[in-house]
Amino acid sequence: MTPSRSRIWPLIGVLSLVVLVISACTQQSGGPSTSAGADADPNGEFRSNIGSEPDTIDPQVESFVDEIGVTMQVYEALMTFDIKTGKPIPAAAKDQPKVSADGLTYTYTLRDGLKYSDGKALTANDFKYGWQRLCDPATAGNYSFTGYIVAGCEAWNSMDPKKDDPAKLAAAKATFLNSVKVNGNDISFTLTQQAPYFNSIAGLWVGVPTREDMVTKGGDKWTEPATYVGNGPFIFSEWNHNSKMVFTRNPNFRTPVKLAKWTKVMINEGAVAFAAYRSDELDEYGIAAEDLRSIDSDAALKAQVVEGPGSCSNYIAFNLKKAPFDDKNVRVAFVKSFDRDAYIADIQKIGKPSTSFISPGIPGYDPGDTFQKFDPAGAKTALAQASPAAQAALANLKITYSATARGKTRLEWFQNQWKTNLGVNVSLDPVDTTTYTQLVKKLETAPQMFYIGWCADYYDQQDWLTTVFNSKSTQTPTGYNNPTFDKLVADADKEPDAKKRDDLYQQASRLLSQDAPVGFVYYSTTKILQKPWVKNLYITPLGFEEAGYIDLYVTKH
Amino acid sequence: MLRYVIRRLLLIIPTMFFVALITFTLAHATPGSPFDRNENKPLPQATIDRLNRYYGVDQPIPVQFVTYIGNLLRGDLGLSFTKGRPVADIIGQGIGTSAQLGVQALLLALAFSIPLGIISALKQNTAADYVSLMFATVGTTIPSFVIAIFLIYIFGVTLRFFPITGWGTWQNEVMPTVVLALGPGAFLTRITRASMLEAIKQDYVRTARGKGLSERVVVVGHVLKNALIPIATIIGPATAALITGSFVIESLFNVPGVGRLFVISIEQRDYPTIMSTTMLYAFLIMIANITVDILYGVLDPRIKVA
Repeated sequence: MTPSRSRIWPLIGVLSLVVLVISACTQQSGGPSTSAGADADPNGEFRSNIGSEPDTIDPQVESFVDEIGVTMQVYEALMTFDIKTGKPIPAAAKDQPKVSADGLTYTYTLRDGLKYSDGKALTANDFKYGWQRLCDPATAGNYSFTGYIVAGCEAWNSMDPKKDDPAKLAAAKATFLNSVKVNGNDISFTLTQQAPYFNSIAGLWVGVPTREDMVTKGGDKWTEPATYVGNGPFIFSEWNHNSKMVFTRNPNFRTPVKLAKWTKVMINEGAVAFAAYRSDELDEYGIAAEDLRSIDSDAALKAQVVEGPGSCSNYIAFNLKKAPFDDKNVRVAFVKSFDRDAYIADIQKIGKPSTSFISPGIPGYDPGDTFQKFDPAGAKTALAQASPAAQAALANLKITYSATARGKTRLEWFQNQWKTNLGVNVSLDPVDTTTYTQLVKKLETAPQMFYIGWCADYYDQQDWLTTVFNSKSTQTPTGYNNPTFDKLVADADKEPDAKKRDDLYQQASRLLSQDAPVGFVYYSTTKILQKPWVKNLYITPLGFEEAGYIDLYVTKH
Repeated sequence: MLRYVIRRLLLIIPTMFFVALITFTLAHATPGSPFDRNENKPLPQATIDRLNRYYGVDQPIPVQFVTYIGNLLRGDLGLSFTKGRPVADIIGQGIGTSAQLGVQALLLALAFSIPLGIISALKQNTAADYVSLMFATVGTTIPSFVIAIFLIYIFGVTLRFFPITGWGTWQNEVMPTVVLALGPGAFLTRITRASMLEAIKQDYVRTARGKGLSERVVVVGHVLKNALIPIATIIGPATAALITGSFVIESLFNVPGVGRLFVISIEQRDYPTIMSTTMLYAFLIMIANITVDILYGVLDPRIKVA
């Protein structure tokens, strides 16, 4: 024991030094240049925060915004979307698809000379492989249902890859592959029914040309940079797990992007990300409601705020099978009796008041649909016209919501509005989040009133009106069943003429507002801070349009 | 001694089994599922059913537990439900970083707390003692996440001495290491001070002084050596504090380690990752405690551990 007497201090000192030296040796070079200039910096880097590590970036598995953002930086689908209108425009495809006379077959022709980032030629078969992975039950994808419109996809995808008879699985696979045909540069899809919205699905991440050789080579780690090789604007060059992802310009992409590098860091805590933005470690920061006070009190920060459309529409839903909301007059009275502008200003802080279903930036957005606007006098008139049975049921109302602090603040506000503007008492019914999710899944368990919303899957009215409110829908279970509405959306879903189709959907959407199975409250919006040197940062509902990657640049700073 | 070590090591097995059982039960009893991550946009029920079947979550929980333990005994930690990749790989990616952060913080804590405690004891009731006591009190009472945010604003946003997030450069590592070291360091300072004061009063110290030994020899050879025994025993709990502290620190400073992974896996109900990270931590804490108990016997031959 004697030696330890004199050795313990030097030992600690030496070990501390060793650790410091090791850390210093692993230091990386970095930091953007600081010289001034107004043009796009050819070596420019853009740094954004994605909060946490994407769970998966497998295009045929993923379903989350940040996951999709990675895929669409690295891969290009057949179509992409116009930044302003959300309408599908050609990407890897040369032009709009050729549609067969019966409306069931969509044929896309690829552009000439397309390549993957490693130089390998891109063929129509690579796209076919992407679609095959999407519908393959062994992929266990979250968004495979978007492929169900292609004949044979749903049957194959619904099978159990481990337990079902391999011969039957092989037969289902063959049936599906038969509806995706490749001919030279052409790829054609046979659909189960007429569906003009298929062209929007062709712009989603789900059908991007995943490389079969790379998936085989990488196995369950194929999404690492070495094998995540795409045909899109950027090369996935570095993935420091749980810390950052680095993307660099793909010189083999048909229109080279303006940025040299895009770094996505994973900062979990909002307050820390905000601090990182302020210390110039991030070029962009997604604002949360609690940041607004400090931003508003700082003129320099306030000038960096940009707002754009989100992808969700939020509303109060009524159960049409239960009194008093079986009476349309009561529903109309409720939807007209809350002040949406005050709601955004006082409660939600970030968002846009809404009186119609489809949110801005999605085809079908209809700012002229104002039937549900705040109108206390009109609301009282409507309520007076309600049947005696419905009037009696007003005495016993409750709204069910997921028991969170935010939920309580929201619903207390509504409670107060209905009390003040309508003279009706609504009691609050908080339930835990899991129970709530279960309750609002089907009509049998749906509460009398509840708070819910819908977010876009793709840019088309079908994904909104038909998916959520046709009488057979399993989403937002209000029990709404109007044959006129059903016919309008069913006709629109199949209508090949774009103008007629939009008109049919608009009629359906306005009918929905007037029938008021739900009371629209607000559209989500995205509010960000962006540094003055960031240019062409587009904020769109889905956020993965190709132009958003190609046009973005930073000036020298 | 050897028999004692073997017995302690064998005891790890049943302990780990109960850790696994309790964690598994609690994780599955927590409301929510790995597949309901977005309440605004739930996945279609058919998709959830398919995913449940794919990952075996549709089986009764006891069956799942038996399957899990069976796989574990064969060294298979399973697939992450949310990431679809082997848990062993995911943990492997973070463990080096966490170990580095933990060792750095422990060394830093020892490097400042033991001298501070000694000075404090030798200069009892002087300004130096009060300063070090104040440090010890503040470090123990203020939660690390508060100190972390405080440091981020001073050294990151205002002074810009250090980058706020990331890992890999020494500048990145200063703030997380310091904040993680503070709590255990403050605790160690108090223990060192108390144990030094205790030792100073002993007869053998008076004897040493009476023999005319120099003050340096008395302090280092007689006081400190005896005072080290309680300090050594504290390193076990301090390691545990470093591990639990790393959950917060890694999340706040965006350090790509296992602590952050653990927090995220609980948020996501990613059962296999929760299980593996919890068991890893339980194992580390047990090893730390066993090491300390053995060390205890080495430092003080009077203590018979067997």
